[in-house]
Amino acid sequence: MELHKEKQLLETLQGVFQLKSGEIKRRHRIEVEVEKKDVVPLLLFVKEKLGYKHLSHISCVDWIEEGRFELIYMPWSHQEQILIMVKVSIPRDAAEMENIDMIWRQANTYQRELREMFGIEFPGFVGDYDFILEDWEDIPPMRRDFDTEAYVKDHYFERPGREDAKDVRTEIAKRSGEQIPDFAKKYSR
Amino acid sequence: MNDKNSQKIVDVIKNFARKHSLFVLAYGTGCGAIEIPATMTSRYDAERFGIRGAATPRQADVLLITGYLSTKTLKRVIRTYEQMQDPKYVIGFGSCTINGGMYWDSYNTIKLLDMYLPVDIYINGCMPRPEAVIEGFIGLQKLIAAGKAEGAKKYKENLDWYRANQKKVIKNWVMPDYNW
Repeated sequence: MELHKEKQLLETLQGVFQLKSGEIKRRHRIEVEVEKKDVVPLLLFVKEKLGYKHLSHISCVDWIEEGRFELIYMPWSHQEQILIMVKVSIPRDAAEMENIDMIWRQANTYQRELREMFGIEFPGFVGDYDFILEDWEDIPPMRRDFDTEAYVKDHYFERPGREDAKDVRTEIAKRSGEQIPDFAKKYSR
Repeated sequence: MNDKNSQKIVDVIKNFARKHSLFVLAYGTGCGAIEIPATMTSRYDAERFGIRGAATPRQADVLLITGYLSTKTLKRVIRTYEQMQDPKYVIGFGSCTINGGMYWDSYNTIKLLDMYLPVDIYINGCMPRPEAVIEGFIGLQKLIAAGKAEGAKKYKENLDWYRANQKKVIKNWVMPDYNW
């Protein structure tokens, strides 16, 4: 398959910016990784010069073992039909990222969500602190060191289960004389 | 006139009237709200049982909790429930209201609805189909006819217990106090 549009875009970006890595994932999709200082110039460049007018999403991955958050900005061009995934790593403690809601207005929503769910601060960014959660007092819930089960045990009630706690699948099979294949047994409790 | 037997007759007539005019508040949480239009419209036609929609809490008799309930929504639901006039009933839809369902380990949804609101009847399923919903409503009608649907009375009598549970999950309690 011809990927000349994607190759051309990657070469343009490699010529203008110092990419840590650049890769064509498939048709209509390329992935580049940059330093934190290059993110805003790169996003401005692809928006103003190359016509990537639409910001599809800002995503975040918590790499707790490596002590970093990975933010992924995804601008899309309706003419070129290409999605650029701009990856950037920021340190996990005192996480901070440049505010881009003057480039795309819809970044406001994503940044509020990132601030609430991951605790990433955006200096200079004006937006309400409460977004989806209300009166949240614990650490941001999408961080991987947030223990969901302990939180649930602590805050909510639990209905006690049946005493015998039999496996439903095996009980039904026993009743109807059905044979459960060996590979399926490891999935039942 | 005010002896015990005449009161019994009045109760029978009252319950008969109540069970045949269940006005359901047009409010839905979670995924079960999508079953309500199907139940109400021509195919399953819930109005033949006297079940129909009501626009505001003050006109409604039945509050449906149709699925998972986040703590943020719980605050609004409590306020809605407290605005409803007597008689009022609560129906819990689906496994999410019974034991948390697939949201059993979610940090933001309540697990047992009957710790926060007095539930008159539960409908199980994930989600219950319109047949099951109508079955649940008929169950509620039977309870009303027998004079056993006393959720609102239970709520009034044990308000402190319910309030304590509600305040455990709703940190910032800024709600009006109603005195019914």
